[in-house]
Amino acid sequence: MEANKEIKDVEMEVVKSPEEEQKELLNLLLADIKQNVINLEKAVDNIETRFITRVLRTFPNIRRRLTDVALAKIINIHETESMELDQESNDKNQSKTYLPEVETYLCLLVLIYLHDKKEYEKGAELSSNYIERIISFNRRTMDMLAAKFYFYYSRFFELTNRLSSIRTTLLAAQRTTALRHDNESQATILNLLLRNYLYYNLVEQADKLVLKTTFPEEASNDQFARYMLYLGRIKAIQLDYTSANRYLLQAIRKAPQSSKTVGFLQAANKLSIIVQILMGEIPAKSVFKQPELKKSLEPYFHITQAVRVGDLTKFKETLNKYTSVFRADHTYTLILRLRHNVIKTGIRMISLSYSRISLRDICHKLQLDSEEDAEYIIAKAIRDGVIDATINHEEGYMKSKEIVDIYSTNEPQEAFNECITFCLNLRNESVKAMRFPSNAYRKELASAKEIDDEERKLAKEIEDGELDDDSMDGDY
Amino acid sequence: MPLNEVTKLYETLNKEFNSANPNLQKCGEYLEKLKIAMIEFQFIAPEGEAQDQKILLLTREILEIGALWSIRVKDIPSFERYIAQLKTYYHDYSNLPQSPRMYSIIGLNLLRLLAQNRLSEFHTELETIEPDQLVSNIYIKHPVEIEQYLMEGSYNRVWNARANVPANEYLFFMDILVDTIRNDIASSSKKAYTSLPLSDFGSLLYFNNENEVLKFAKEHNLNINMAEKEYTL
Repeated sequence: MEANKEIKDVEMEVVKSPEEEQKELLNLLLADIKQNVINLEKAVDNIETRFITRVLRTFPNIRRRLTDVALAKIINIHETESMELDQESNDKNQSKTYLPEVETYLCLLVLIYLHDKKEYEKGAELSSNYIERIISFNRRTMDMLAAKFYFYYSRFFELTNRLSSIRTTLLAAQRTTALRHDNESQATILNLLLRNYLYYNLVEQADKLVLKTTFPEEASNDQFARYMLYLGRIKAIQLDYTSANRYLLQAIRKAPQSSKTVGFLQAANKLSIIVQILMGEIPAKSVFKQPELKKSLEPYFHITQAVRVGDLTKFKETLNKYTSVFRADHTYTLILRLRHNVIKTGIRMISLSYSRISLRDICHKLQLDSEEDAEYIIAKAIRDGVIDATINHEEGYMKSKEIVDIYSTNEPQEAFNECITFCLNLRNESVKAMRFPSNAYRKELASAKEIDDEERKLAKEIEDGELDDDSMDGDY
Repeated sequence: MPLNEVTKLYETLNKEFNSANPNLQKCGEYLEKLKIAMIEFQFIAPEGEAQDQKILLLTREILEIGALWSIRVKDIPSFERYIAQLKTYYHDYSNLPQSPRMYSIIGLNLLRLLAQNRLSEFHTELETIEPDQLVSNIYIKHPVEIEQYLMEGSYNRVWNARANVPANEYLFFMDILVDTIRNDIASSSKKAYTSLPLSDFGSLLYFNNENEVLKFAKEHNLNINMAEKEYTL
């Protein structure tokens, strides 16, 4: 098709008026959409979801070229065709029937058009009218289209501030898709529900939802990455920092690394940095230096600096300066917890640098209010294993213990264990993620040349296929 | 029970509870009757949106008094139940006029979670409160600050905070909290000090006389060297 287009362009370059250009674009658009419809029909005939994935990949491309004229024309064509088919099927009992997939696809096009024109109210109305029909379809091939539909349904309601009203519908839809094993839809709805709860800060309910449901494993990577991000946030709030860190790292790895997904990466990185600090590790400076993330991660950079040095005043200043940023990112409460980490680092620095120091001096260095305070805090720090020291109460000083040869303890073994587990997990996940086309399909394409052609086409599409602006949105 | 009887019973309960020397036994009986009435009217779990504002307000008032009463009679599970029911009223029915006791009760719940050492639930609850209230409202600020002190380990500030509780009901949970921090101090002291004179140890633990210190030490298997009046590791 691309070769044909090129030839056409060369021929037409001679004379082109604006109306002719418009018409040209319109025709190209209609041709593309027709191609997609044919693909959808092929998909239903062969029950192969690959064709549907191809259709969805052309989405961002078509989206940019949509106009109301084009949409009206397409819907008219489709309606007349379907009416003809109805008549024909009455006469001849033809096997070609009117496909709900095509209907949903057209509905999606309209929804996206409304979304891009910022007609959110109309979008919300249309989607709530159509969602009953979507839930009533029980077809395997509807899965991916339905997933996209649910996403936009929820998005419109979010943009019109009516998110809580769709919770019951989403919950019902989730049960239905789980029963039918519609993996993609189930994954999308789970993520939408989690997003819904977290939007209103109902962490407890989000947690219960996670406990009672299982995330389908066959869902696409995008949905999986989102799910990891939401899980990470829930765990971080519940003080389970190790799990949170694991989930967030997975989210960052699974997310597509393109320019359109920067929003998602920003959100995931912000949370990951804070969780690392809360666990006691300082994140590497390279994390902050990535070009796309540099500006958005700047406040977090300053906070990390304050924690690293152990300076409580600097921490308070940075906190006050960037309060609005943190509130918008929903990380404000987590950062408040960092105050304790600042003090811990301060104590650790002191214990390392002094073999013996009076409590009064500690009091001054950490800007604490009284010696009593200092004494209690240090006693607790010793118990938590932050420092190795003893306090002499009568004479009022703290004495650090001698530094022990670290290799004679268990530390190296534990560090090795961690690294090895990490590598093994990575390998297992990569093996699981590899996908091979089924043998039946290979038999169809008898000659090797056909196989080559198909693979080349697929690779090119994946290369050209850009991501939707909406797929990974910034506000999480 | 028809609505006006319920209202009358509620008013008697209100008067009794807020009087100078409430008869807690009688209040308990009123509450039992009111709870049954509410179930008959399906107040406690209202279905649908079209409920009378008055009825919702009335139920909320009754539940609030129930929560405060549970603290007076020192019945913590009952308090938990009332709070669970109150939470729907505070969060989901936000079109009702705000109750004057709302933040005080939310603060009490936070303190209870702290005293029972349920930190993850404490933080989950904290997320549902608006961020401005966290720093401005005295009822909420109190448990938040106490949590910070506990994390840092500055137990003397917790001890001093006992004196400035925003409401009397907070004292109940503060007492439970003091027990928790005594355990914490004891375990920290075990690792931090090689030896300590008994009187100092007593003051660290906020005990007033020696006998209490000895009793506490025996419960926690700490080494007391009587001859030199010292506590050793």
